[in-house]
Amino acid sequence: MKEPSSNKLLKLFLYITVFAILAPMVIITLWAFTNQWSWPSLLPTSYSLRAIKEIFAPYGNVFPILLSSIFLSLTVALLSAIIAIMAARAVVFYDFFGKDLIDFISMAPNLVPSTVFAMGIHVAFIKMSLANTPLGVIIVNLIYTLPYTINIMKNLTESIGKDLEQQAYVLGASPWKAFLHISFPLLLPGIIASITMAYIISFSQYFVTLLIGGGKVMTFSMIMVPFIAKGDRTLGSAYALVFVLSTLIVFGLINLILKKFQKRKEKYNWN
Amino acid sequence: MKRKTLLIFLLLIAILTAGCSKNKASLNDNENIVELDPNADFDALVEQARGTTVTFYGWGGDENRNRFLNEQLAPKLKEKYDITLEVVGMDIDNILAKLAGEKQAGLEKGSIDMIWINGENFYSAKENDLLFGPFTHKLPNFDKYIDTEDEEVLYDFGFPIEGYEAPYGKAQLVFLNDSAVTPETPRNTQEFLEFCKKYKGKVTYAALPDFTGSAFVRTLIYDIVGHKQFLTMEADKEVVKEAIEPALEYLRELNKYLWNQGKTFPATNGEVDNMFQDGELVMAMSYGPYAAAVGIEKGVYKDTVRTFVFDNGTVGNTNYIAIAKNSPNKAGAMVVINEIISAETQAAQFEALKTLPVVAYDKLSDEEKARFDKVDIGKGVLSQDELLSKRLPEMPANIVPIIEEIWLEEVVGKYNE
Repeated sequence: MKEPSSNKLLKLFLYITVFAILAPMVIITLWAFTNQWSWPSLLPTSYSLRAIKEIFAPYGNVFPILLSSIFLSLTVALLSAIIAIMAARAVVFYDFFGKDLIDFISMAPNLVPSTVFAMGIHVAFIKMSLANTPLGVIIVNLIYTLPYTINIMKNLTESIGKDLEQQAYVLGASPWKAFLHISFPLLLPGIIASITMAYIISFSQYFVTLLIGGGKVMTFSMIMVPFIAKGDRTLGSAYALVFVLSTLIVFGLINLILKKFQKRKEKYNWN
Repeated sequence: MKRKTLLIFLLLIAILTAGCSKNKASLNDNENIVELDPNADFDALVEQARGTTVTFYGWGGDENRNRFLNEQLAPKLKEKYDITLEVVGMDIDNILAKLAGEKQAGLEKGSIDMIWINGENFYSAKENDLLFGPFTHKLPNFDKYIDTEDEEVLYDFGFPIEGYEAPYGKAQLVFLNDSAVTPETPRNTQEFLEFCKKYKGKVTYAALPDFTGSAFVRTLIYDIVGHKQFLTMEADKEVVKEAIEPALEYLRELNKYLWNQGKTFPATNGEVDNMFQDGELVMAMSYGPYAAAVGIEKGVYKDTVRTFVFDNGTVGNTNYIAIAKNSPNKAGAMVVINEIISAETQAAQFEALKTLPVVAYDKLSDEEKARFDKVDIGKGVLSQDELLSKRLPEMPANIVPIIEEIWLEEVVGKYNE
């Protein structure tokens, strides 16, 4: 703040970032309505509503699938955040046999190529009657989101420490109360980050969901990816647009709900 | 504290193992499998299939086909047989991975009934015992409408079908260019080389093993060394390489004039098509013989885009529908497949999707013939007669991957000295 030049530099970075995010969005939006856009025209040479008609066509069930997909990913995100809070506390605060191993294993799904991993887990899930069920898809998505959420929560739990909670114990609070009123509000930024991270990973998961869901559990990626893979830019962009907008709305809602929660807590704490 | 954790941990393991063993027992309970009587005639199958659901797994990247299956075929099946058709878009690799996983786990009642399949995938699925059959002899429409002596009904990429799949549609490689940009339509490999020289850097094909790119290279090979020798060729890399050596030389010569000097190739034919639409390339290709009409109708191609093939012909193949070995509803699948190979559905499919029909024209009634004849196929295409007269058979399925391997080693980024 003192040096105006560094301030300017920051602003420049901000603009570059915003541009890097917005420019592709503008192009995607244009492509969703484009028929032909040949070089060297700056704007599409002909437009059509082909993609929009396709997305709203009743046979495709795009919006029911989108809704169930959002619901599924939200479930994964919430579960992932809850497990991560507990796992992070276990790893940071307690010493137990095989702690390092568990710490390492939590990263494993990201170290093994996902195709290999998926094929193996598919057979295991069939034997457990989990294949082709929403529960199976939720579990397999959790395996992929946990490495991220655990790491986010681990760092935050470490930096907050146990001192404040211990203070509460001394004053006679139960462990649950101490956690709810002290650690939870402090962890909230990390929880929001975990939920959004887990949501986006789960929502964009394709191959694993496809294999475990087996076409019985449909998610939005599963109807979007074939068109992108085929190279149909108009339909691909239209689906991508729905993908981005729905995600933004979900993120906005998560933020709103958790922030409200935090405000209420704060009020309660200060009074 | 520690003991308590251990206890909980042990309890959890106990619950999980108990859950597993219980599920294992119920994994193959037969209550929901529609048991298939091997001697049942077709009417019995229809009766058995009434009120059931049939799943159809296949590539989902074609919105016209998705619409046709969901809006035309599915309602018809519901009305005629009370069968619910569930179309699931999934790549064939994933379908086979899923079937292989189910087989490994010993699942007798799977989730897939019908599979859209052909070529190498059929070969590997049948070899690995993933398919149910033979079943085509049970379908009345198979005898009624299909030419049962046709090479493409007996063999799929040179591999005997033996009743394990029924034809679904015919495809053939065609080339596209824009008559407003390029007046010439190369009629053989020599003219094609001249064409590439003239429009240097504006022609390319998708890197093998892309389905279309691979078919294109096979078509060039056929034009240079002929196609008959491959039908009986041993699937040995050295043998194949020797046979196609002149073609490899041609492909390396071609590299100089291709997009990016043949150092790299677009990964998919979709990219080639996009580059053609953008004017970055002057030629595209497609395995859908009426791709030009479909593209013009959609509006992604200019009205001046037209189709051409080599005088010696281009490779064509048939795609098929098979039934999974662990399909839970084989009776239903057979009823649906029988409906798909009817003259009525094939004509409707010809209208909606512009795929070449699989029914034999001379087996049709006059009324049915008229229905096929009046289909307006659209702009920029070749007639069905011309396509079929310039149609070359596919190579045996086990030679295709060998050629793809040789192409990677001997063609990409390589030039003749």
